[in-house]
Parts: sequence; structure tokens; C-alpha cells
Amino acid sequence: MLSSFFFLAAAEDGADAGKAIALALGIGLGALGAGVGIGNIFGSMIQAVARQPELRSELQGIQWLGFALTEAVVFYGLIGGLLAYVLV
Amino acid sequence: MKRLGLLVFGVALTLPSAALAASAPEEDKGAFISEEWELHDWIPIHLGPIDMSINKAVAYLLLGALCSCLIGIVLMRVKVGKDPTRRQALGETIYEVAQVQVAEQGLPTKAIGRWFPYVASLMVFIWTVNMLGFIPLPLSDEKVTIFGVEVPTLAIFAATSTLSVTLALALMTWTFTHVEGIRANGLWKYLKSWIPDVPRVMLPLIIPLEILGQLMRLISLSVRLYANMLAGHMLILTFVGLIIVLENVFLAFVAVPAAAVFYLFEVVIVVSIQAYIFAALSAIYIGSAIEPEH
Repeated sequence: MLSSFFFLAAAEDGADAGKAIALALGIGLGALGAGVGIGNIFGSMIQAVARQPELRSELQGIQWLGFALTEAVVFYGLIGGLLAYVLV
Repeated sequence: MKRLGLLVFGVALTLPSAALAASAPEEDKGAFISEEWELHDWIPIHLGPIDMSINKAVAYLLLGALCSCLIGIVLMRVKVGKDPTRRQALGETIYEVAQVQVAEQGLPTKAIGRWFPYVASLMVFIWTVNMLGFIPLPLSDEKVTIFGVEVPTLAIFAATSTLSVTLALALMTWTFTHVEGIRANGLWKYLKSWIPDVPRVMLPLIIPLEILGQLMRLISLSVRLYANMLAGHMLILTFVGLIIVLENVFLAFVAVPAAAVFYLFEVVIVVSIQAYIFAALSAIYIGSAIEPEH
């Protein structure tokens, strides 16, 4: 269904509109998933520290690792969108 | 003092965009953003088919290598005295992060001696190159004439926001991972350790997935750093560039603070996190190849 949507947009308003939609969807959907994920990580971190404050420094390393791994998902979406914008 | 620094920074950010606005062609006003990532040869060096020309990214890389060497020499080569100086304390903090947070988390104890230098220098080098990317330096292709002398405009550009740099770094980690895995376990045992314990029926499905997963590590490791730095610079440039695209000077009251906020976010959080992540994941990959879990 999505692909037919792209096709319609590209056919009617020229290829640029389709490209713009592809770029926006790539970033937008990527940000949606990563937003949920990052919220989850920090929420769990707050809960964990509230329960056992003495583990804070140990948990912090894992927290930032998880944050960076999740945050990168947005940029995979961004790169996909940019590829669609530049190459297609 | 802090406010003054921010003001100076804001002015420094707008300088390159003002110079760019003068040279931007009429029809595509937003094009100057992608032009920042066009690399022109400054000193062409062609060795047969190999292009080793010095361009903007290479200059930033060389500068980064020089600065990370300096960080190492200045902070680590100190006379250990009874009361540590600030220099020694800073050096010890960097060493401790590399040792405790990066190396000991990923590498098995017997491999720390061999691979600690690699992951620590990876961390310091990536941090330095990322950080240089957020300091306005006169290393751009645009020229501005001040008192009759042509000097390059100040611009921000990170060598790690080009894919070839991060791919080369990731390729190094990837190669070391497999070489160490084969050396520690033997070829057949190492390849077997990739495949988890699953019923025999699932094997035709699992084996291609695991091989693909090893290749995806290369992509995820390089694209994570590359896209983070690219997106950070693009955000800052886009916000400042709004002034030029929409041709309204008063937008600066909104655009420059917004760009400054993103700049601070990048400098305070992203630069350090990405350097740490790259080094930590390298340690984890190499460590898990030396000592597979099963």
C-alpha cells in the first residue's frame, strides 16, 4: 500500500514529491521507533536506580550503551531516506 | 563569561553561512548544505589507480591524529608525584574510562594486555576527530577576502561525517575480530562458534542469517558513527541556513539559539558517547571472538 502511495505521488506531482515523502517517512518512522526505545531505556534506568541507588554507576555504562545503540536507529532511517532522495 | 563565550560562538557560527550566502546560486538556495560534504582535491596525489589526494577530510584526519598524539603525550607523560597535578588527574581519568568502562567490559582478562592499546587509542582518536568537527576552523573551500588577503572561511566539518573514514575504522575492528578469533580458537572451531544451538532443521535458515549478521556488524558500526556526525552537522547547518533560504535576517533570533542548543547537545553528549560506543563495541566484538560463549 505504501509503495502505491509513493507511485501516485511521483506520478502526479513529479518525482520530487515522492522523494520528499520518502525522506520524511524514513526519518519519521525511524524516530518513532527510537523514541519509544529511548524512553524505555531511561524509564527502566530511573526505576532501577530508585530501587537500588548503589548500583547507579554500574548501570550507567549499560544505559549509555543502550542509548547509543537505540539512537542509531533514527540515523539508519535517515540514511535510507537520503539514499532514496539522492539515488532514485 | 559564559554568556560572552556563547555570543562569540553564535557569531562564529553565522560567519561561514554569511560568506556562503554570497556565493550560493539563485535557483537552489538550500544546496550549500550538501556542498559542505563535497570534497575537492587540495593537493592531488595519484599513485596509479590509487587516489591519495589531500582534501578537507584528509586534512581534518591528519589534524585529529596530531591532536590525539598530543593528548597522549601531554596527559600521560607526566612525572608521577606525591600530589597529582590537574594534568595527571585528567590523564588518569581518561585511562580509567578506557580501562574500566571499555576494555574490561568487553575483553577477556588474558587479551586485555594485547588489545587495550587498540581500543584506548580508538576511543581517544574518534573523540578528538569528533571534537575537532565542532570547532570552527579555517579549513573550508570557501574563500573570503580580509584586508586583501584571501583566507578560507571558518567552518565546521568532521572527518567522521564521511562514510569512508568510519568504514575504514570499522573494517579494522572487523578484520582484527576474525583474525583474533581464528588465532585463539582455530578456523573450524571459530566458524562453528558463530552458530547457536538450534535444532538441525533450523540450520539452513540460521547459517545464512548468522553470516549476514557478521557483515551487518560492519555496516552498523560504521553507519552509526557516520550518520550521527552527519545528522548533527546537518541540523546545525540547516537551522543557521534557514536565514538564507527564507531570506529573513530576523529569523536569526530563533535559528541561532536553536542551532546553539543542537551544538551543545552534540558537543556534550553525542561526541563522547559515539567515541565510547565505537571503542566499547570493538572491545566486545574482539572479546567475544576470542572467547565464544559456547
